[in-house]
Amino acid sequence: MGTSIREGSYVSARRGGGLRKPPREDALEKGLASAVQVCSAQAAEGVLIERILSGHKELFMDLIRPHQRTVYATVFALLANKEDAEDVAQDASLKALARLNQFRRESSFGTWLIQIAINEARMRNRKQWRIPMLSLTDDKDDAKPYVPKDFEDWREIPSTALERVEVRDALVKALGSLAQHYREAFVLRDIHELSISETSAILRVSPGAVKSRLRRARLMLRDILAPGLGQDGGLGWASKEVRKPWE
Amino acid sequence: MGFERSEETMGINCQDVWRDISDYIDDDLDPIQRAALDQHFAECRHCTALLEGTRNVIGLYRDQRVLAPPDGFHERLYQRLGETTKTSRRTFLAWTLTAAAAVPLGLAVFSARRLIVPAHDQQHPASGLDARQVPETVAISQDQDDKVFHVAGCSHLHGKPKFLPVGEAIREGYTPCFYCIGKARSKKNS
Repeated sequence: MGTSIREGSYVSARRGGGLRKPPREDALEKGLASAVQVCSAQAAEGVLIERILSGHKELFMDLIRPHQRTVYATVFALLANKEDAEDVAQDASLKALARLNQFRRESSFGTWLIQIAINEARMRNRKQWRIPMLSLTDDKDDAKPYVPKDFEDWREIPSTALERVEVRDALVKALGSLAQHYREAFVLRDIHELSISETSAILRVSPGAVKSRLRRARLMLRDILAPGLGQDGGLGWASKEVRKPWE
Repeated sequence: MGFERSEETMGINCQDVWRDISDYIDDDLDPIQRAALDQHFAECRHCTALLEGTRNVIGLYRDQRVLAPPDGFHERLYQRLGETTKTSRRTFLAWTLTAAAAVPLGLAVFSARRLIVPAHDQQHPASGLDARQVPETVAISQDQDDKVFHVAGCSHLHGKPKFLPVGEAIREGYTPCFYCIGKARSKKNS
């Protein structure tokens, strides 16, 4: 997270990256180092969980601290409302505390926590009917080939553009206009950089479904944003109609 | 618009590129497919624009500022968690104290009941015998008129024995033998 593609970073070895490859040896070294880090982090996490379960509940805050931003970002992306996102993120954390003894350690604690957060956000959406519910098993759209709406050259968005609130709001709004199952795939895979298998496990859909949802989500977001967000980071929606190709 | 301008390079056209562009970004294509797309991008400016734009989208959303939590989010979360853990600690303490108080109270009630109320439900309705201490079938003497029933084999059973259910013996007015049944009762009670 937080890494600009334009700054030349290579996406983590876990997901295969693909944006700009470093030399193979470097990738191997980084991969090994990252695997060691992941193992030691999981071991430390396991110890912390044991202590919490033995009665030191105050340590739960240490356990969730590294995941707070991720949880909030996930529910905010799904609800597109700051107040609800905070409320649901808190609820998800409390639920994780209450159900910590049910955590089977088949995944990392962070993945488990995100799964709880997504379920909470789905429940909130269902209760409020804010976003029309779409069947998560209806993959008819996913199977159809996606036809981009235009091929406007949109190569460089400076990182400084994101300092502007209206640009950030425009990105949140664009994400919020996607159907929920596209948003979920995009958030887990592209924002949180989870692997296809992790995303598929959290969403309980096949890896193929994750890939097709992700493809459409990416292209739809590009179609929404490319006409409006200029290369200088300026917003052009006032003069340009935002077209949604799936409508 | 894309179809009209599509170009076919290395056996793939723009539609193939749109289908595989996401896997290309994720480096999830085999080398031949990847090479074909590389070749296509080198020659098709529309698909190149699509690729760059899609990468732009991912890069923008990956910036932590886009979905950042509001000011005070962490503090409010800690506060709520702190309240919950305190509440659960208080609840746990209350339950522990209640349980600690309930155990001696329960024992006291049970003992008082034993002292005040005889265990009627365990006694035979007619004889006052503990039903668990008397065999189902008892023996009476056919030769004596003492109206006493015995456990089979009792040395105080004289004459020819007749076996009958204990309930029937009691209904007919028989009482338990002190030596065989009474001893067994007092031994068990002591």
